[in-house]
Amino acid sequence: MTLVEKILARKAGKKVVRPDEIVEVSVDRAMIHDALGAHTIARFRELGVKKVWDPAKIVVVPDHYVPNKDIDTAKKCLNIKKFVLEQGIEKYYEVGKGGIAHQVLVEKGHVLPGMVLVGVDSHTTTSGVAGAFATGIGVDEMAVVFKTGRLWERVPGTIRVKVEGRLKPPIMSKDLMLLILKKLGVSGALFKSLQFTGSAIEDMSIESRMVLTNMAIESGATNGIIEPDQKLVDYLKARTNEPFEVVRSDPDDEYAQTLEFQADDIKEPLVAVPPKPSNAVGVSEVEGTRVDQAFIGSCTNGRLEDLRIAAKILKGRKVDKLTKVIVIPASQEVYKAALAEGLIVTFVEAGAVVGPPTCGPCMEAHMGILGPDEVCISTANRNFQGRVGDVTAKIYLASPATVAASALKGKISDPREFF
Amino acid sequence: MEIRGRVWKFGKDVDTDELFAGRFIMGGDETNRAKYQEFIAGSGLSDVGQRENVPEGFLTGVAQGDIIVAEENFGIGSSRQQAAETLKFKGVQAVVADSVHRIFFRNFWNLGCPAIDLPGVSAHFETGQKMLIDLRQGIIKNLTTGKQFEFRLIIPPWFIDMVEAGGLIPYHKSLGGNPKS
Repeated sequence: MTLVEKILARKAGKKVVRPDEIVEVSVDRAMIHDALGAHTIARFRELGVKKVWDPAKIVVVPDHYVPNKDIDTAKKCLNIKKFVLEQGIEKYYEVGKGGIAHQVLVEKGHVLPGMVLVGVDSHTTTSGVAGAFATGIGVDEMAVVFKTGRLWERVPGTIRVKVEGRLKPPIMSKDLMLLILKKLGVSGALFKSLQFTGSAIEDMSIESRMVLTNMAIESGATNGIIEPDQKLVDYLKARTNEPFEVVRSDPDDEYAQTLEFQADDIKEPLVAVPPKPSNAVGVSEVEGTRVDQAFIGSCTNGRLEDLRIAAKILKGRKVDKLTKVIVIPASQEVYKAALAEGLIVTFVEAGAVVGPPTCGPCMEAHMGILGPDEVCISTANRNFQGRVGDVTAKIYLASPATVAASALKGKISDPREFF
Repeated sequence: MEIRGRVWKFGKDVDTDELFAGRFIMGGDETNRAKYQEFIAGSGLSDVGQRENVPEGFLTGVAQGDIIVAEENFGIGSSRQQAAETLKFKGVQAVVADSVHRIFFRNFWNLGCPAIDLPGVSAHFETGQKMLIDLRQGIIKNLTTGKQFEFRLIIPPWFIDMVEAGGLIPYHKSLGGNPKS
């Protein structure tokens, strides 16, 4: 069995599971955030039970609309907090303590190898970086998970994405993922799992790996996953005392498909042109496109190494006079580390605005919303039409290095010039 | 269980941001079903005039009992259940597509509305035609052309009972416990 099959078999209490089999598994972690948490709670209350199945397994992270932007968002967050207190949920991250849920789950060691983790958010796939089965569900299902601690799942066949070699800066894991998505398309992995493997993955930091599992959903996949190695075990042990056992695939595992890539062959940074994350082209094809906004942040690329490479490019320079440059660390921990390293000063001196840890202009939620015909280059994960504001606005997806270079010139630019 | 309805033919890759824009996610009082339903129904597909994959006249013409037929990858994107809810509250009772994204698939079924994935099915339907779905037999019929297709769903055995109960929440309330697969 592959890694995902083994995890689902264990959690279903079965010896063997096969792709496309329906199983019922026990849930180890259930995450809600502010965007859909109040809805989940309202449906949970309709079920007529008083207590959640296990408050220790629930993680609550307000992240989309924080600090609250209006009375509606404040009311929903109050409802969530009331529920947290009433149910005795300890893993709650109030504004100023957490950040973006997907970052917090990994950073605080709440997701561990072999776990089944669900969240009311499609980018819950990010947590697969820890060798867990992590996926998104809707609010009605989450209400039932809160009651029962159980989830049905269609066992996904595994697409093995094998990447050998080494990425050379300023080529980042974002460029690799845009290339993978170009190959798979936005529906190439429907009801499948993407398992990332190979020497290039082993070589990567946990942060870089999270970009891959985060954007696995953009191929239509059920989840993304990476087999735990010593680097991951060390990372998690520094963050939690909770014991865990590493689950690995069998040597005779069977894959639905294998895709192979050579990291060293990626010479040119990639940009996904609107309106699909799978529309990657070499940066030279869109170079010079005017940008009104440049965004560095999100659960895809708001981590320390992302801010470091952006700061390296922006240091001692000024961003374009007419371009809105927005930098948002993915969590308080990232923010604090970026402050200590002087990265935040670099951004402010360059003429960027630095926001508090939140989802930001990754979606049409709180800040950085685009007006008619505006163009944004973004490190986030989706560039669908109307994703971040007016339906005529355009979003280009790229790595933090490419976005930082573009911020300087006010047009899409190649970061290699600065390396 | 039989479902009959009039077809609206959608294109491919209909995404959740298109079905229900992010700016409406925090709107609507989720504790009041009637008010919530009205808000969700009114907010969905609000930019539809500028979309290529939505049929002309859908927003003004959709009526209770209609069925969406779509090309591949219906419902890609976010886990926002409002994307499925807005279709249901506008009157759509089933989605039949060449393929359906996992989260939308689950969300729509959980509302008591079947989402059926059958590769190639969209080529045999046009807007305005009439469709019959026999859920338990696994048969789709184009009542206008007479063509018939068989499908096999990969769903838990209790799923059609759930649809008959009106969705996951009412089904679960009626059970008291957890549905066993």
